[in-house]
Amino acid sequence: MAEFSGHLSLQASAREYGPTVLSSQSFRAPYHLSKPYWDADAGVLLVQVVNPTAGILAGDQLESDIAVGPGASLLVTTPSASRVFQMKDGTAACRQHFTVARNGWLEVLPEPLVPHRGCNYRQTTRIAVEPGGEMFYADLLLPGRVAHGEAWEWKSLCLKTEVRVGGDLVLSERFDQTGPDLRALAQLSGSGPAACFGNAMLIAEADPADAAWIEAVRALHGPSLWIGVSPLRRGGWSIKFVAVDAMGLRSALKSIRAILAARFPRLASDPRKL
Amino acid sequence: MSSDPATNTDAAWLCGLLQASDSFYPTGSYAHSFGLEGLVQAGVVHDRATLRDFLLLSVVPALRQAELPLAAHAWHAFAGLDWETLGELSRLSAALKTAREARAATENIGRQRAELVASLRQYAPAAEFLRRAAAEGWPCSSAVSAALEGRALGAPLNAVLAGIYYATIASLLAAAMKLLRLGQNACQSLLTELMDLAPGVIAAAEVVPVEDIGWFNPWLDIAAARHEVADARMFIS
Repeated sequence: MAEFSGHLSLQASAREYGPTVLSSQSFRAPYHLSKPYWDADAGVLLVQVVNPTAGILAGDQLESDIAVGPGASLLVTTPSASRVFQMKDGTAACRQHFTVARNGWLEVLPEPLVPHRGCNYRQTTRIAVEPGGEMFYADLLLPGRVAHGEAWEWKSLCLKTEVRVGGDLVLSERFDQTGPDLRALAQLSGSGPAACFGNAMLIAEADPADAAWIEAVRALHGPSLWIGVSPLRRGGWSIKFVAVDAMGLRSALKSIRAILAARFPRLASDPRKL
Repeated sequence: MSSDPATNTDAAWLCGLLQASDSFYPTGSYAHSFGLEGLVQAGVVHDRATLRDFLLLSVVPALRQAELPLAAHAWHAFAGLDWETLGELSRLSAALKTAREARAATENIGRQRAELVASLRQYAPAAEFLRRAAAEGWPCSSAVSAALEGRALGAPLNAVLAGIYYATIASLLAAAMKLLRLGQNACQSLLTELMDLAPGVIAAAEVVPVEDIGWFNPWLDIAAARHEVADARMFIS
């Protein structure tokens, strides 16, 4: 089976007359880009990163580097879930790096990660936002192929995320549970055998208008959706949510974006427009 | 720890660690439940069995992968007064906690503990640590301050980590006794079970590299975030 050393590099820049363009781009399989679309209503450039292979396989080494320049605004999404396949030997790794300049906006909204039975996968995400830049990032994790009766059966799964604002480390998270441990935590918390986890970060300077969206997002909490919002040490918020199934998770993210769009209008962009 | 007979020097740091681990020691930790109250309010932890699950599935892994490794690296850094590393560890400690209350708890307890080391032990690096933390904006950290205290007492690393492990579990159980219908014997049996795990957890924590520090329980973080705006609460966190 082919092993990929994939690479993706994008630079989004603002044109003098308004729209954002990709001023430089470079990619290698399994990465591929769809044609970017300028969403004039939301004021954001939509880019879909496509993996034309079935998913992530043993030996794959994926590197991406996406930068948003001053005044530019970019939404990066994927068309389908990222499946991480069973690995008899070897591991797969994904290292992604996002930077946002002053007055830039970046939304990273991939479809969920689906770790299959016996996979070994490590994802490292590094985010650097300059003061005055803004970003919304959401990572979604499904427990596996639940419809096939397969959940929490990865060999190893490590999702590491680091966020710096103005060079200052404000978030460092490492999600490294074994499948059985996470299944037991889900059971303890009453989220059920197909619990799905969303980890979002909103990076922006605080504003008195934030109280409205924070209250509205908190109000989404209920028996089938746990959701918590808390300010980071500086420059943003952590929004974590757990739903009882994948549909609930997607619906929660859709609701969060809709609520946030009142304060951050670029979140009104529909990532499925492409 | 070695199995050699204890010396007077051992007794000195041992007494110091006992003092620092006691609920009588004014670090303010008695006012925190470290997210437990949020999970009790959510109905997740409601009896001895669910408390035990919470300790084993959430508290112990967080100690093994975050608090104890942070303290271990800080203990090594204090040996050479490596202020740059200590600043990085302090920032990392705060960045590991995305819930404001959890972050505030470690900052307040850490600051109080460092100030106690400076005032009670007359340990010069403690005053210098506090000066640099204030000047350079380092968030204080309970793990880093526990390492500082261990250095001030001359305690070996595994004893310092054992002190953190014990204080964390005992403090949660003390909070649990106020939050749940739970007797002292039930808590002591849990404490005994958890203490039996300590050597293995401490040994594993000592070898966690800085880049692998971190662990979180999404449900605990959510409960802690919701506890910030709870209508009624007994604990600060």
